[in-house]
Amino acid sequence: MNAHDEMLDNVAVYALGTLPAAQAQEVRAHLKTCTECRSEYAALAPAVQSLAYAAEACPDAASAAGSVAPPSAMLKKRIMRKVRPNVGEMRAVRPIVWPAYAVAAACLAIALGTGVIDISRSSQLQSETARNAALVHANAELSRAIADQKTQLADLVNPQSVHYPVTYGQVVRSGSRLYIAMDTLPAPPKGKVYQAWTLHDGASAMSPSITFVPADSGVEVQQIPGSAKGIVAVALSIEPAGGSKQPTSKPVFVVKLS
Amino acid sequence: MLVADDERLMARVRARDTAAFEAIYDAHHRLVYGLAYRMLGQTAAAEDVTQNIFLKIWSTPELYVSGNFPGWLVRMTRNRCLDVLRSKSRGQSELPEQLPNEEPMEEHALASIDAANVRSALAQLPAEQRDPIEMGFFGGLTHDEIARRTGIPLGTIKTRIRTGLRRLRASLGQTVEV
Repeated sequence: MNAHDEMLDNVAVYALGTLPAAQAQEVRAHLKTCTECRSEYAALAPAVQSLAYAAEACPDAASAAGSVAPPSAMLKKRIMRKVRPNVGEMRAVRPIVWPAYAVAAACLAIALGTGVIDISRSSQLQSETARNAALVHANAELSRAIADQKTQLADLVNPQSVHYPVTYGQVVRSGSRLYIAMDTLPAPPKGKVYQAWTLHDGASAMSPSITFVPADSGVEVQQIPGSAKGIVAVALSIEPAGGSKQPTSKPVFVVKLS
Repeated sequence: MLVADDERLMARVRARDTAAFEAIYDAHHRLVYGLAYRMLGQTAAAEDVTQNIFLKIWSTPELYVSGNFPGWLVRMTRNRCLDVLRSKSRGQSELPEQLPNEEPMEEHALASIDAANVRSALAQLPAEQRDPIEMGFFGGLTHDEIARRTGIPLGTIKTRIRTGLRRLRASLGQTVEV
């Protein structure tokens, strides 16, 4: 097998998403210059995507070998409850935090206190139990969000974090996490958003990252998704809502990460 | 669902249309949940990932720009599952880089993907090709780790993965521009 055949094998492994980061970077760089390998990647990527369909949940899972049943209808209800605006407003005003044991105790008390079991009370109990279960889940979600914020705060004040001053704030690297921490970022023009860009080691062009609109105060902290490993520069620009594939305006800042 | 349908729905999601979001959920939640379940092996963890992915779609719909929506969804889901696996492994084992996103090269998707067809095409692959593909894609293992676990030389594993993917691609047929 010659070196290029070996590279074609690597392209397949890369398409499957099973190359470690360093080797993936090599393949990515090679793809930019080799037509044959690009064709191979383009041919194999849909096959890799199709693999996910092999795992797709199936309503009649019991009769379809190797398949899994869809998630419960409660999952959709939980998600839609968070999405529908009236629920969102309620949560924004005052999140209710019930300890799990209190919810369980409440359910038990309700169950024991119901001496006469009739259809209407049973139905009411079921509804209360479902509502309480939803509250427990909301509680867990809130705890997760608080934990994320604590990590963010710890990273920003960690003396071992590296701070790169930029216009309107700083870029902060803490281990494998990277933040854009702005303290006086003006609101973007109407219909526009801020978009972050990252440059990976060896890459010739910036990759699009998160978009956001800062709070009215101009204070905004955004974590760049994924690992900071291999990112050698970060930029921020103003882009149309929805973001862009390439920067379309002069960057607000570009900072090299040493 | 057609690519254009997904794009239209996502444009409405960007305009905060909950009905469009619900349609996106109905069309794609089985794909997201099934993949998460296969990778994580637990109902609760798979539901968490599914919820996380769809709330991300709702909170930042601009992350999806255009093109192959199911492909984008699969990439997001697998990458999220890899994050979960990473947090469990606490850095003790090497995990692969996330599923690549070579947008300019991903101009094609399979014209029609049916779960039963894919399962059948996958089942028809020789085990020596199917196993490393499944270990890599669903198990989140690197090719080095697959070679170590199976005791098969690394070069052989890579060649089998490529041959298997080519066969899979051939048996699933035509592609369309997206």
